[in-house]
Amino acid sequence: MGEVSLETSAYAKLILHAAKYPHCAVNGVLLADGTKIRSGAKNQDLDIVDTVPLFHHSHYLSPMAEIALTQIETIAQADNRVIAGYYAACENFRDNTVEKCPGQKIAEKIVEHFPSAVFIVIDNKKFVQHLETPAIKLHKYTEGKWKPKDANKVLFQTPYVLETVSHLLQRGVQKDLIDFDNYLDDLSQDWTNLGIEKLIASINASNSIDCKEKAY
Amino acid sequence: MSFNYDELSHTEIFDLLRQWRENNERRSEDVLYFSEVIVEDPLHKLGSEKYVVMEQVIYAALDCHYYTIAKLWIMMLSEEFPGSLRVLRYKAACLEAEEKYEEAMEVLDSIIKADETNSAARKRRVAILKAQGLIQEAIKELVDYLKKFMSDMEAWQELSELYLQVQEYSKAAFCAEELILHQPHNHLMHQRLADIRYTMGGVDNLELAKSYYCQALKLNPDNMRALLGLFLVTNTLLSHYKSSGSAKRKEAFKLSQWAQSEATKIQRKAQPPPTIPALTNMMLSLAVTD
Repeated sequence: MGEVSLETSAYAKLILHAAKYPHCAVNGVLLADGTKIRSGAKNQDLDIVDTVPLFHHSHYLSPMAEIALTQIETIAQADNRVIAGYYAACENFRDNTVEKCPGQKIAEKIVEHFPSAVFIVIDNKKFVQHLETPAIKLHKYTEGKWKPKDANKVLFQTPYVLETVSHLLQRGVQKDLIDFDNYLDDLSQDWTNLGIEKLIASINASNSIDCKEKAY
Repeated sequence: MSFNYDELSHTEIFDLLRQWRENNERRSEDVLYFSEVIVEDPLHKLGSEKYVVMEQVIYAALDCHYYTIAKLWIMMLSEEFPGSLRVLRYKAACLEAEEKYEEAMEVLDSIIKADETNSAARKRRVAILKAQGLIQEAIKELVDYLKKFMSDMEAWQELSELYLQVQEYSKAAFCAEELILHQPHNHLMHQRLADIRYTMGGVDNLELAKSYYCQALKLNPDNMRALLGLFLVTNTLLSHYKSSGSAKRKEAFKLSQWAQSEATKIQRKAQPPPTIPALTNMMLSLAVTD
């Protein structure tokens, strides 16, 4: 019980967000598939289907975070998704713990509403252009604290996730990623990053053709 | 990037590099790409701009962790300017990038000893402390620095951010006020102080936040953060002022309505992609109805 799996585009967005602003701390929220969620139950399986990149500056100020979260809740409800977690990367290369991450208050609020929430810390030290490990650390909230989950148990929905995301990093797709800060600077930007989702879908489609060919 | 780097002439490359320098754009990989094209002949024909371009390449190389390239360019510069403190600063930056913090500190101290007014070297000391994760020490060093160089806007801004990081909101607000004194016509400074006051909470701080958001919007009506902030702050104030007759409540209500309609107008004008929910709906769901 309590397994957490990530969709490729959800994982790709958080990695690309950190890659777009290597000199900043970044954060965002994780959205899970609401149809598989039983309300109120603790420690349930999560299927993270999407992430929304939030900020890369002014992490310690609340007004824009409030706006962003209300907006995200609106689209999450419309698509039958729930805000099921939080991710962050620290500004300092060596800081890879929950305590050093910005926005822990946001994460705690998410847990209040959704007890099975996860906290993903992006592991700066494992973050490379050719990803060999997922470079993220999962945490679960137990007894008032974020406790690390077994790091080897990052589950992906589809094969070739690390290869796909590495490919995106090498192509410089992170430049096209839009976070909520970018949106507030220019309202015509799309913080749901539909373009990147479509790109990943097309890569996934060609990957699955490869798989079939290999099967023969 | 829409154009092909290989097709650019040397003049175009230098124009582009100048543009990035002036706008403080972080394009280190692209700068390095160009550095290979210009390193030989074109750079030497450039005249005095040559040295700033070289500086740009050095910092870009350090940013991408190409220490050998950085050292090569630093050597080229130090041959031309032996004993220059500015070149010495690049060497310190190189040590800093290689995480040889103690050696970097020594070099910086020697620069400061030779030239007490060298503010860049002093600020680098703060940066090294920050890189080591010593936030309290960095704050102390920066406070000392600001006692000597009070008109350094960048430093006040950094201090404000460091204070926010350790949740010393009132001190961060003080720094933000200092920034407003330096740049009274910069809307971002007003918005920043308002953000801090809103985060602090309490009726007094919210009233202040309201005023500063208004000032920010007066200076730049398109500041979306200030507009949304004003909406949030007036809404919170409305729930604080319960008696519906008071003048303060009326004012907050009017401002909240105004912020709502302005935000809707701006969003419509921007033609957002269809996936993005309208701000109006969010505002209506939050709004306190009178």
